[in-house]
Amino acid sequence: MICDECGQREATVTLTVVQGTERTLRNLCPECMRRMSNAKGMLSAIFAAAMANMAALAQQRPAETEVEESLEEEALPDKTCERCGMTYAAFKQSGRLGCPGCYEAFREELQPMLQQLHGRTQHAGRQPLQTEAARRTRSRQEELHRLMSEAVQREDFEQAAALRDELRAMAREAAE
Amino acid sequence: MSVSTVLSSRVRLARNYSDLPFDLSERPDLAEDCLSRTAGALATSGADKGFLLHRMADLSEGRRAFLAESRLISGDLARAVQTGAVLLNERDGLSVMIGEEDHLRIQAIRPRMELAEAAGDCFRLEDALSKQVSFAFDPELGYLTACPTNTGTGLRASILVHLPMVSQQGKSGEVSEMAARLGLTIRGVFGKGRLALGDVYMVSNHVTLGRTEEELISAVLAVGRHLTDLEATLRETSRREERLTLENRVYRAWALLRSARTLSSNEFYNLWSSARLGLSLGWIEAEADTLDALLWDTLPQHLVAWRETALDEKKLNEARAECVLNALGKLF
Ligand SMILES: [Zn+2]
Ligand SMILES: [Zn+2]
Repeated sequence: MICDECGQREATVTLTVVQGTERTLRNLCPECMRRMSNAKGMLSAIFAAAMANMAALAQQRPAETEVEESLEEEALPDKTCERCGMTYAAFKQSGRLGCPGCYEAFREELQPMLQQLHGRTQHAGRQPLQTEAARRTRSRQEELHRLMSEAVQREDFEQAAALRDELRAMAREAAE
Repeated sequence: MSVSTVLSSRVRLARNYSDLPFDLSERPDLAEDCLSRTAGALATSGADKGFLLHRMADLSEGRRAFLAESRLISGDLARAVQTGAVLLNERDGLSVMIGEEDHLRIQAIRPRMELAEAAGDCFRLEDALSKQVSFAFDPELGYLTACPTNTGTGLRASILVHLPMVSQQGKSGEVSEMAARLGLTIRGVFGKGRLALGDVYMVSNHVTLGRTEEELISAVLAVGRHLTDLEATLRETSRREERLTLENRVYRAWALLRSARTLSSNEFYNLWSSARLGLSLGWIEAEADTLDALLWDTLPQHLVAWRETALDEKKLNEARAECVLNALGKLF
């Protein structure tokens, strides 16, 4: 996605610009984000900075109402977790799964729900420390995290984004 | 700003054993298994120093409510009277709740903006436990939890911030909306519904999957820092342009807090917020820690524990006022 402002650099942040009652979405690169933050009103400036820091967290979730409707119209699949006996219908009713095995049994159905809740469906965080390799990965991740927060501190968002990408790649690798 | 507007930080991790059903409330045998595994693992790892095991069944209703009010255990755990338990290190603000919605809720509470440190506390506890036991984990979905809202990192990071000017100027709605776009929630802490008594707000992540723990914590901290900046800017404007109004608010509140013989919780929160604002502006001679501790010490179960007897509304209000006088000193 290319930045709406300069039309050159890669946009990393989506910003809601409020003018009176009108709202527009703008995709911005870190550079233009910083420049606009200085020009716009105080509140949006402050949050623009927060959002630039946290571009990684910008939500890409589908409009919530759409998803809810489509889930409701769909007939509930007739599935049961063999380990605990929880049916998918019972889960939909209570919002609580029966056992860790339910995630396997209802994987397909849970996918859109997780996407809606979290905007993503691939874990990127800590892992159980079962192997020596995992332990080594962990210490490299910790190192990268430290470098990333240092980059954010000195407002070097491009460097921070690069480190974040490296961390993501590690998480994906570890997951495969 | 001289005195932090961030009151406290909290992190909790949800973890489950892969071979047990999530809900143990109807299965005392499995709940006992869950408890002994956890307590055993913590003891074997040597990380159990300062921890005491409390079964909910062994605690009085008042003590359970007190711990829940202090946030050392959750309300859900306090209600799991038959099967719930907690490994508690009260001094360091550490708890491992057992038999909550998830098998384990590892939690650390720290003062001020020590959110990363609180996360470190939780990870150290988790590492100690996971040398002995293994938790339900899926390479794609991360740590598996009873409710899909917690899946992934299982991490909820939150800070409490005091934002009197942000709420006075009605900015909290805008702020919440923007925070939501970052996967964060901002809500009041004291009072029911949409109220934010004392102008105390909690900023926490609701997204848990697809981000690293570090990213989630940084997001909460970033929003906390920027809320603090916004609050500081609004205070500065107000100090410049409405000094008299502001002084009137602060000094009246400060005098009333040290004079009142009875205080309803609503009145207390209003006065507290104004006095805390005065403290941050450097207009009031008091310790921030003393003032902040009153937020918890004046809660009903804390007052009951202090008085060691049940209190009706009237007695609660009297006890609250006396608790405040003891902490801040009498004006009369
Ligand atoms: Zn640009
Ligand atoms: Zn199941």
